[in-house]
Amino acid sequence: MSFDPLGDLEQVRRGFRWGETRPSTWAPAAPAVPEPATDLAWARTEPALTARKLIQRGVSMPFTELMARPHVSGREWLDQLDRSAIIVSNHVSHADTQLLLYALTDRVRERTVVSAADDYWYQEHPWVGRMVSLWLNTFPFSRTGKPQTVLANSGMFLQSGWHLLIYAEGTRSPDGRMGPFRPGVGYLATQNRAPVVPIHLRGTDRIMARGRSIPMPAPARVRIGKPLVAAPKEDYRAFTRRIEDAVRTLAQGPPDDAVRGTWVERWRASSPGARGRR
Amino acid sequence: MLALQYVRSVPRYAALKATGGRPKLATGEFSVLHLGDVEDPRLPAAGWHQVRPRLAGICGSDLAAITGHASLYLDPLTSYPFVMGHEVVGECDGSRVVVEPALGCEVRGLDPVCARCAEGRPGLCENVDSGDLPVGLQTGYCSATGGGWGETLIAHPRQLHEVPASLADEAAVLVEPLACSVHAALRAEIGGDDVIVVQGAGTIGLLTVAAVRQLTSPRRLIAVAKHPSQREHALRLGADQVVRPDEAFQRIRFATSARRLDGRDRPLLLGGADATFECTGTAAGLNDAVRYTRAGGTVVAVGMPGEVKVDWAPIWQRELHVLGAYAYGVEGDGRRTFEIALELAPRLGLEALTGPLFGLGAYRDAITYALAAGRLGAVKVAFDLRNLGA
Amino acid sequence: MSRPGAVVEIDRTMPPVLFHHGEGVRLERLPVGSRVIYGPDPLPGLPHPQRAIRRALSHPIEDDPLPSLLRAGMKLTIAVDDLSLPLPPMAAPDVRQLVLQEVLELAAEAGVEDVHLIIATGLHRRMTADEIRHAVGDRVFSTFYPERLYNHDAEDPEGNVHIGVTEKGEEVTLNRRAAESDLVIYVNLTLVPMDGGHKSMATGLASYRGIRQHHNVKTLLGSRSYMHPPDSDLHHSCIRQGQLIEDAVRVFHIETTVNNHSFPSIANFMQKRETDWTASDQAAFLAVKQVTDLAPTHIKRQVFHSMRAPYALTSVRAGQVDAVHEKTLESVREQLTVEVEGQTDIVTIGVPYIGPYNVFAPMNPVLVVCTGLGYLFNLYRGRPVVREGGVAILSHPCRYEFDSVQHPSYIDFYDEVLADTTDPHQIEQRYEERFATDPWYRQLFRKSHAYHGVHPFYAWYWAAHAMQHLGDVIIVGGDRDTVHRLGFKCATRLEDALEMAEQTVGRHPSISHLRLPPLLLADVR
Repeated sequence: MSFDPLGDLEQVRRGFRWGETRPSTWAPAAPAVPEPATDLAWARTEPALTARKLIQRGVSMPFTELMARPHVSGREWLDQLDRSAIIVSNHVSHADTQLLLYALTDRVRERTVVSAADDYWYQEHPWVGRMVSLWLNTFPFSRTGKPQTVLANSGMFLQSGWHLLIYAEGTRSPDGRMGPFRPGVGYLATQNRAPVVPIHLRGTDRIMARGRSIPMPAPARVRIGKPLVAAPKEDYRAFTRRIEDAVRTLAQGPPDDAVRGTWVERWRASSPGARGRR
Repeated sequence: MLALQYVRSVPRYAALKATGGRPKLATGEFSVLHLGDVEDPRLPAAGWHQVRPRLAGICGSDLAAITGHASLYLDPLTSYPFVMGHEVVGECDGSRVVVEPALGCEVRGLDPVCARCAEGRPGLCENVDSGDLPVGLQTGYCSATGGGWGETLIAHPRQLHEVPASLADEAAVLVEPLACSVHAALRAEIGGDDVIVVQGAGTIGLLTVAAVRQLTSPRRLIAVAKHPSQREHALRLGADQVVRPDEAFQRIRFATSARRLDGRDRPLLLGGADATFECTGTAAGLNDAVRYTRAGGTVVAVGMPGEVKVDWAPIWQRELHVLGAYAYGVEGDGRRTFEIALELAPRLGLEALTGPLFGLGAYRDAITYALAAGRLGAVKVAFDLRNLGA
Repeated sequence: MSRPGAVVEIDRTMPPVLFHHGEGVRLERLPVGSRVIYGPDPLPGLPHPQRAIRRALSHPIEDDPLPSLLRAGMKLTIAVDDLSLPLPPMAAPDVRQLVLQEVLELAAEAGVEDVHLIIATGLHRRMTADEIRHAVGDRVFSTFYPERLYNHDAEDPEGNVHIGVTEKGEEVTLNRRAAESDLVIYVNLTLVPMDGGHKSMATGLASYRGIRQHHNVKTLLGSRSYMHPPDSDLHHSCIRQGQLIEDAVRVFHIETTVNNHSFPSIANFMQKRETDWTASDQAAFLAVKQVTDLAPTHIKRQVFHSMRAPYALTSVRAGQVDAVHEKTLESVREQLTVEVEGQTDIVTIGVPYIGPYNVFAPMNPVLVVCTGLGYLFNLYRGRPVVREGGVAILSHPCRYEFDSVQHPSYIDFYDEVLADTTDPHQIEQRYEERFATDPWYRQLFRKSHAYHGVHPFYAWYWAAHAMQHLGDVIIVGGDRDTVHRLGFKCATRLEDALEMAEQTVGRHPSISHLRLPPLLLADVR
């Protein structure tokens, strides 16, 4: 055997068919050695927080402004939040999270964790997942695992003072239409007694449609509704339906007062005095 | 005889095409024109006459041929080499005549005549390659007839129309283009409440303004003129309003109370002119015309278009009637177009449109001048052959 | 203390005088003996604007305190002036924002749910979302826009109602929402004495049918000037209409005034008298002059139109329309009036880059006439600064330049109407109806941001009095073809213009220069 690193590399490259499609004759890939479970706690420790703030302020927000020229309404409700809330939105594109973070106020944005599909982001592309965690403060949210453990983990965030951004449909819409909400959202909210901020966004599918990887400029709209609070003893499924209805109402035309509040409520919510109360 | 002949030459044509037909080249190194002594045309049959041209105009289609802009469609319809010139006032057996250049069945000695000629439209004759003459649509594009830019041409009696004494040569030389315009004006079937636009104010444009004004009674007649000198002529010949091409959409919109939508390249009107006479033959002119003529309206192509790029979407979406108006014959009332033109001509003061005149020897200057006529304040540049014999 | 206005006579020691010249400036040396009319310096603003507004709302003039008029379940409409006021646009926060916030605070307290905010555009163009946001502030905007904060639509057949006819036969129309409200609050800004009072509602919320009653040549020729309401038929007519409106709907009128601090500190030299110019003002002038001489027009325009005026609120009053307006006019006059002794043969005016109808657009030739011979010429009380048969010399580039979005009907007015005649009477008779009913103008007025089809006519009528009064009009530095189309004369330099004027008014004429903006009102004795 002679020293031939290039030959070795070449051998591996050819043998494992780098850059080619996985042959159909190969058995489906499976994680024979499981990844250690993690909630990526490092992403919420100090150097990461500051780095994220810099990335957001310096790059992401201006870029979002440029690509989407976002039209945001209802920000005043965020100023009024006095405890950890669940932010629920429809989901059409990878661009959604960045747009939503843009739409949040500074104070809320810095205390928001984003649920990201564990199987998609952390199992298939672990390094991409870590980058995204640093950038958007995501945590792995299992779509397939046992609901109880997942929800318990998420509840921890709420109890430790983080807002939780959840795409309640569980996946990106294939065609822009909104799918049914998974009941986990209502469960989380009722269990932790957290208010739910319904948000509807539109237009991101034109920025980066499902299946595309290059963003194109297109106008987007974000509507933030009045926070919902579960009634005492309200069933979590019923509450989920209520949240879903709120997002659907936001989607349509000018939202009515039931969802976004009467002008008097919104006026009070946006008062400079109201901000100081917390 | 002395004549200015068009000699077919593929390399010269290619060179002209490649250089965009610049006047200097078109009359110089690459010129397809040849001034010299050529054989007199022979009379092909009994009854034909010799005509000695007095004035012969330089037509837009002649300039297109000389600069290589003419459509190749016309190539098989022409026999080479030919003496140019189809706008002719001349002398025949002591009287002054204008020549109706179309070479239809009757002129070619064919009997029975083809269906188009039977309709009285010799310009559309289906036998332009048969009979006593070689192929050719008109005198001035046929190798056997001679043309206006030479000492002699030959004509069938059917082609000759006597000029009244009151009509000067300078006016009579415009009878042929006037007949084209008369034909166009009558083809559009203009109603009394119509807004009519004549796009372009060269010879054909101005004469179309005159023909529309004389033969129909539209509500408003708008002429689109590029050069300031054309404005006065258009107003004198009967335009209600003369506008510049860059303001055409705005003005036509106003006149028709239409609505205007601005697109990425050019605007369009919702509503617009009822009929448009396109007399420039250019891509810009045609593209504007189909966008400011109302849906279901009529666009008449009067000026000779070459191979130009026209967006057909407006024609399709607006369901426009696009009519060609090539030449004359017999109009709906049974009169020949030339007779109508000869009747109108004395009223119009056409001599003001003719000039300057050049001798055949100065043909380079004449062609160069004619190519820039609008900018130089001229309308119809013509050859003066009255002194040739002397 | 701010200095009152002054009339300064030019002697050999005086510095040259500033002329506005569209998007540019020039210094001109007027003949010795000419007089320059300066407005008063900016008055100090109110120390606590919000407190003053609150006091005005709770202690109105000849009306009940606003809180007592508000109750839950009522239908409330708040109308505000559009972006033609103030000029140049005010640096944030705009007065409208300050007033609206206080009014809405009271409405929220009273639990008034049904509130609409209407921009009283009249026949002006619709304001864009950004312009509205600037005028009303972020908080009001995000709470109400777009369902309950919108532009008045004078061409909406459903959205306007006919209220009645005045004793002089003038028809009165009003925005339907306003007409059907339990209370209409009008938030106004009175920049010059023409604004405000009954004119606010009678034009701002009316349709063409109502506005044409006084926006016509006859009324405007009877308004001498419309900057002094007692002598103005325009205002008499508006007052008759306004009284009818007051009978039909409960109105609570809020009027504000600002001082004449029109230019930000970078353009201090425009604000100051030339004799006050410091070295840095002179440097600023030189810089601006060089840049505006060299820069392409659209860049100059962007720079000029991005200037925001640091106006300060000088008064705020609320209550019954007439009572409030009378007091408001006192405040306006205090800021603007300068006493002028006698008329002169010639008046010179530098027409600035902006007028009421070209915010964020070029000042087209028709608007040059409207601004120069309309608004600026009419800034007098008693008699015009220039004698009858005298000459007005305006300074403006006067280019053939139109904004196709804002001024589509102006283009046709210039090319079709002025090509035919420049006589206001003829124009009114022959063309106004045609423009009023043109479907394209109507479409653009309602859906885009275009001025109404007849608006160029009003711009022209606005100058009718000046055209009748003057012997000649000369535009210095104007485009020759354009100036001739307008029916005036053109001169390259001021000296030439004065020379030409002498042919009309005789040798050794007396000359006044109206040094504005900042605005002033000449009280001519």
